Amino acid sequence: MNYEDMLGRLCVLSGPSGFETHVTRAAAELLRPLVDEVHTTRLGSVVGVRRRGRENAPRLLLDAHLDEIGFMVIGHDEGFLRFAPLGGVDPRMLPDREVVILTDPPIHGVVACLPPHVQTAGDMDKSLPVKDLYIDVGLSREEAEKRVPVGTPATYRGGCAPLGEDLLSGKALDDRCGFAVLLDVLERLKGKELPVDLYVLGSTQEETHSTGAITAAYEIAPQMCVAVDVTHGDSPDASKHETFKLGGGPVIGVGPNCARSLSGRLKELAKELDMPIQLEVMSGSSGTNAWPIQVSREGVATAVVSIPERYMHTPVEVVHRKDLEDTAKLLAAFVESLGEGEETC
Amino acid sequence: MLNTLKELCLLNGVSGDEDEVRRYLVSRVKSRATHFHADAIGNLIVFKKGKKSTGNRLMLAAHMDEVGIIVTRITEDGFLKFDFVGGVDRRVAIGKPVVIGKKKVPGVIGLKAVHLVSREERKKAPKTESLYIDIGAKDKASAEKLVEPGDYGAFVCQPEEFGDGLFKARAIDDRVGCAIMLKLLEEDLPLDVTFAFTAQEEVGTRGAFGAAFSVTPQVALVLETTTAAGLPGVEDHRRVCAPGKGPVISYMDGSTIYDRELFETLRRLSEENGIPWQTKEYIAGGNDARTIQRSKAGVRVAAMSAATRYLHAPASVGSVADFEHMLQLTRLFLAEMAQRLEEGIKIERE
Repeated sequence: MNYEDMLGRLCVLSGPSGFETHVTRAAAELLRPLVDEVHTTRLGSVVGVRRRGRENAPRLLLDAHLDEIGFMVIGHDEGFLRFAPLGGVDPRMLPDREVVILTDPPIHGVVACLPPHVQTAGDMDKSLPVKDLYIDVGLSREEAEKRVPVGTPATYRGGCAPLGEDLLSGKALDDRCGFAVLLDVLERLKGKELPVDLYVLGSTQEETHSTGAITAAYEIAPQMCVAVDVTHGDSPDASKHETFKLGGGPVIGVGPNCARSLSGRLKELAKELDMPIQLEVMSGSSGTNAWPIQVSREGVATAVVSIPERYMHTPVEVVHRKDLEDTAKLLAAFVESLGEGEETC
Repeated sequence: MLNTLKELCLLNGVSGDEDEVRRYLVSRVKSRATHFHADAIGNLIVFKKGKKSTGNRLMLAAHMDEVGIIVTRITEDGFLKFDFVGGVDRRVAIGKPVVIGKKKVPGVIGLKAVHLVSREERKKAPKTESLYIDIGAKDKASAEKLVEPGDYGAFVCQPEEFGDGLFKARAIDDRVGCAIMLKLLEEDLPLDVTFAFTAQEEVGTRGAFGAAFSVTPQVALVLETTTAAGLPGVEDHRRVCAPGKGPVISYMDGSTIYDRELFETLRRLSEENGIPWQTKEYIAGGNDARTIQRSKAGVRVAAMSAATRYLHAPASVGSVADFEHMLQLTRLFLAEMAQRLEEGIKIERE
């Protein structure tokens, strides 16, 4: 998989939670040549299925979410737009930020800020809450109200590009890089006979309430599931104890959200593959789709595999190419390793 | 002119590192100028003969530099520490892409994820000392192959039309002044004009010292941008000026009391010719005029600016009509000065 090309293509698309159509359409096209069938769920998630060919084969679900954090226009003031966050937006990212307003056709905006010339040093020490910020779309009051009605969603503007030799930086890598990994897994499994019916889910609305994954999991009714998402990567301003090294390998979740059988198998496989991995111990919710999927229907054996990512929920998220490749390699080996009558708890 | 402005706004020219902009300007002026030279600090001084021989009496000035960053240190982990060059509200730099040095190495100004930040900490803007640039280097040695302390970095923003009749770009401050001067250099001028494309305005109008000294004009018009602060929630008296309401003609700012007669002249010329104009309704900021005014035995100065939102931030927004009106009004000003400067300026204080 050429991750640079794939993520360049996926990250530039706007898909804030609840408004993922541009992304899900692209995801469906990317899945089609790699699976037996592709469909879209009632709430917009994309599902690609590779069937084993046997009735009642165990169902394995691999999930990555396609939505990204964004904004919702909630009002107008002198031609500027008032907005609310859609998902976990860091307001400190916002002053003078370029955004895409998802009107048809989309228009560009800039989050307004005051020049330093008319502010005091004290003003500039404060971070501004979202309620005090406005988006400038360069329109008069009348035009802004007409062309950008209340309820219009928006996202950060940007795509994804290389950073140094090994890294990629962009918006929405959380969790398009997870979806790209799943495409890589399918490529690696091409032509191979699988022990399970494999469902690859590009889910919607993870950043808000996991709504896409909750409903898709009900529909798919898997016995096993691996949620592939991002976790916090190391950076100079973050504690080493709550972050994972970029390039240090896939991060395997351990804790109540992660079936020990699955986590254990992932660890063993990594050892066999001579692949470095990192462990993330999570005492409760993993903060991923694995949390609600675990309690779907009568319960699902879930695992969490994460890609270390710096600056999560910013327009300049950063991941390591090798972590993406290793995660795909590990998951492909995991799919192949599953046998009949799998122990799932 | 808008195409020229777009080209200018794609160039990087942080104060002290204006080479790229100056090279472009030289390529554009060399066939038009009577003569030109670059001086020690990096100003580009261009002289063009006009219909009336007025020599060095009139100078137009615009600065070619912009605010940005400078790399101060490389950490053991391969991250870059930096400082701002010029007045930047650090809050607009967080999470922004930059390009560093001659090789234009891409980097991002990182900040740990919001999930890892306490509620208290979220209320404060991180201090400049705690910020850093990630260039994707795995350690100090690999970073040193790409970047060294002292390398300048510029913000990144695609110049483009914006909303209804507006223009968004990096460094509109003051490439718009440069674009207007380039346009005038292509025209037949009514009098001799010295065009000073100045360096290092953003760090204390440093280029203007030498430029004004070597040119020794009697009258100077500074073509600039100024702070438009008309956002919702900002009190009326702090809004300063607004894009689309015409060129800003200044009577006073934070560092200059402008020549009243030249101020009145510019105002009269706009009104007589149906050009909208506005003035600053808040006394703040300053520009090359302050230094030019106090050069040698003194220079009569005026300033005309494009009201620009988000000045000194990566994405600034100004009005295309304002830019055009500035060009028109500068032409009218030159015509008026051709009459008056032919015999040299009169000391007309009463």
